[in-house]
Amino acid sequence: MIRLENVTKRFSEKTAVDGLTLEVPEGEVCVLIGPSGCGKTTTLRMVNRLIEPTSGRILVNGRDVMSMRPEELRRGLGYVIQSIGLFPHLTVAENIGVVPRLLGWEKPRIADRARELLSLVGLEPDSYLRAYPRQLSGGEAQRVGVARALAADPPVLLMDEPFGAVDPLNRERLQAEFGRIQRELHKTVVFVTHDIDEAIRLADRVAIMRDGRLQQYDTPENVLNRPANKFVHDFVGADRALKRLVRIKVTEVMRPAPQAAIDDAPEAMRERAGAGRFVYLTDDEGRLAGWLDTDDIRDDAVADAITTVDRLQATVARDASLRDALSRMLGLGFRSIAVTDDEGRIMGEVTFAAIEAVMSEAEEHRGPTADGEGA
Amino acid sequence: MTDSTASPTRFDRVALTGALVTLVGAAVLPFVELRANRLVPGSGHSLAAAGPWAFVVWGVIALAFVSAVGPSAKARSAASTAGAYGLVAAIAWALGAAAEGLLADMSPVARVSVGGGAWVMLVGAAILGFAGAEERSRFVVRRAGPVVLLVVAVAGALVSGGLDRISLAREFAVRQEQFVSLILGHLAITGASLAAGAAIGVPLGLLAARNRRVRGVALAVTGVIETIPSLALLGLLVVPLAALGAAVPWLRDLGVRGIGPAPGFIALALYSLLPVVRNTYVGLTSVDAAAIDAGRGMGMSRRQLLFRVELPLAAPLVMEGLRVAAVLLTGIATLTVFAGARTLGILIFEGLGQFAPDLILLGALPTIALAVIADIGMSALARAVTPRGVRVAVQTPAPTFAEEAAA
Repeated sequence: MIRLENVTKRFSEKTAVDGLTLEVPEGEVCVLIGPSGCGKTTTLRMVNRLIEPTSGRILVNGRDVMSMRPEELRRGLGYVIQSIGLFPHLTVAENIGVVPRLLGWEKPRIADRARELLSLVGLEPDSYLRAYPRQLSGGEAQRVGVARALAADPPVLLMDEPFGAVDPLNRERLQAEFGRIQRELHKTVVFVTHDIDEAIRLADRVAIMRDGRLQQYDTPENVLNRPANKFVHDFVGADRALKRLVRIKVTEVMRPAPQAAIDDAPEAMRERAGAGRFVYLTDDEGRLAGWLDTDDIRDDAVADAITTVDRLQATVARDASLRDALSRMLGLGFRSIAVTDDEGRIMGEVTFAAIEAVMSEAEEHRGPTADGEGA
Repeated sequence: MTDSTASPTRFDRVALTGALVTLVGAAVLPFVELRANRLVPGSGHSLAAAGPWAFVVWGVIALAFVSAVGPSAKARSAASTAGAYGLVAAIAWALGAAAEGLLADMSPVARVSVGGGAWVMLVGAAILGFAGAEERSRFVVRRAGPVVLLVVAVAGALVSGGLDRISLAREFAVRQEQFVSLILGHLAITGASLAAGAAIGVPLGLLAARNRRVRGVALAVTGVIETIPSLALLGLLVVPLAALGAAVPWLRDLGVRGIGPAPGFIALALYSLLPVVRNTYVGLTSVDAAAIDAGRGMGMSRRQLLFRVELPLAAPLVMEGLRVAAVLLTGIATLTVFAGARTLGILIFEGLGQFAPDLILLGALPTIALAVIADIGMSALARAVTPRGVRVAVQTPAPTFAEEAAA
């Protein structure tokens, strides 16, 4: 756990961080966000004493960082930066082994750990252990950067815009993998970014800063629904109802979907539709094969009313967010979409109406302060 | 080398230039000069004086022209390489043959010197050697190979007789012992002052990279030292060193005196400072700031950061500074004879005093050879200290690791 108590940092003229108090509970991801110059990076770098506070106290696991030797403190805090900073003269394995070596681990243990971590970040150990950083792509390098920070299994990770220099496609993939790793490892993470979507996607709590002062420190949902002031309201943007969808899994608003086997009799299909218009049709393994639109049935020619589809295109996985579902539906022109489990079997469906309901709910929650100041 | 890839050029301009220069040297200028004794001016004799060896030389010149118009880049490179080495060997043997022929009926004090034509032909051979260099991609073949082959060719000609009748060889024969001791003296003063320069310059460069004030002073002072003419610097050092040696007897016993190796050693060490300090400074400050930030953030102490990150990454540039200094000092070391050091400069300045051009060459040629060897040796060392991770990327930018893994 990390506690900042009334921390201030002044650089000759400018006050970078002004009386900041913040607590990051153990195992949570705290995202520091704000416009450039708001003091978020300074705050992060004060935790591992790359910058020393002018006043105030910073506690990591109950110990005042100023009471520890900087080198010792830092070896216990994983550190990832945007420019990665892999050592070009060392192999990937040696880069990952830097902190374990500083801690005096045995060689075989370091080698095993490098292997284990490369697998964890999704890189095949045998192809990468002996590679040099300059042979890696940006995304691969940043994965190695994360592996290096995790090498000595520190309880705390400090990440300074770690995915900022990666292209958008890779960034989303890295964010998803970071989410997966975090669910597995439960590190206490301080994460700096200027990307509000990234913050909402990854954070347990978001700390929004401006001119060195904390504007709001809350869950992403509350930051979106109840912005503390006009600055936060404007900062999260007008599309915050849409942003909120990132935080909601499809399984939370999913409803049972009428389905029938594709080789069922037409009457059975119709019966399954009940009062509804559509029936999902499945193959013999329960996976989506197409659907039947009962409005299209003319003169009992049921076969003509069946649309067969590519099941990967026309479904979303159970861990997808409502935003994923919405963009898929808009792309395909659907009013609803099937949700599938890990084996690809249909679990239920998410309708446009359900997503709309969630969005309007978010609008209703607009905080009175925001309206008051915004008026 | 102008068309090492599949370019449509049908001939190699560089090889052609080399062949033409050689042809002019062979056809127009005197190959050797015959003199009644070592000091009087002589009369020129053409390549024909070498008898049958003249035909060998002409044959190699013909090969040089062939190398310029060969069918493929590879064939042209092979021919120009063979032509370059062949020329050097043939010229060496032809010189020996010419000397033997011309001196047959002369008094023992008569001398045969290497003529302008032979020198020009050697220059042509060097140009020819460059022609195929791009194709010979391996470092050893490109840089070290020519020097080794040259030494072998000339030594072979010396041992097998013939060349020993050339005036240059006669000067050598007279001063054989002195020559060897002077080469050793030259190497000793150059090596010692380079070591001292490195011992002072590298830490100074390190301080300059750490501290802005040190940087200003260090770069300015070493820069000013470099502008002081060598003789003036030596002169400036003689007087205080003489006084110091006179005042402190044990220093005097160590060799600190106005005349002797001390002023030369100090002057050379001072000259080495600029390249060493500047390259160390540039090498350290050009280390990726992100790597340093990451190293500090991971808990490296300043010492660990310096020895595990900064110095390994700066090493190639530091070595490059030492290489420049080594070449520089090898040349300037000839001047330290004026303050009493014993280097190859003694031969040069004695030759100048006696108007004996071959004696000058006896000092100058080995000095040049030492400088070239120092250059090649230090380049190899610089490559050796370049970390592999830095080298792979710089040398072979093409395949990314992902592509390699996919293959």
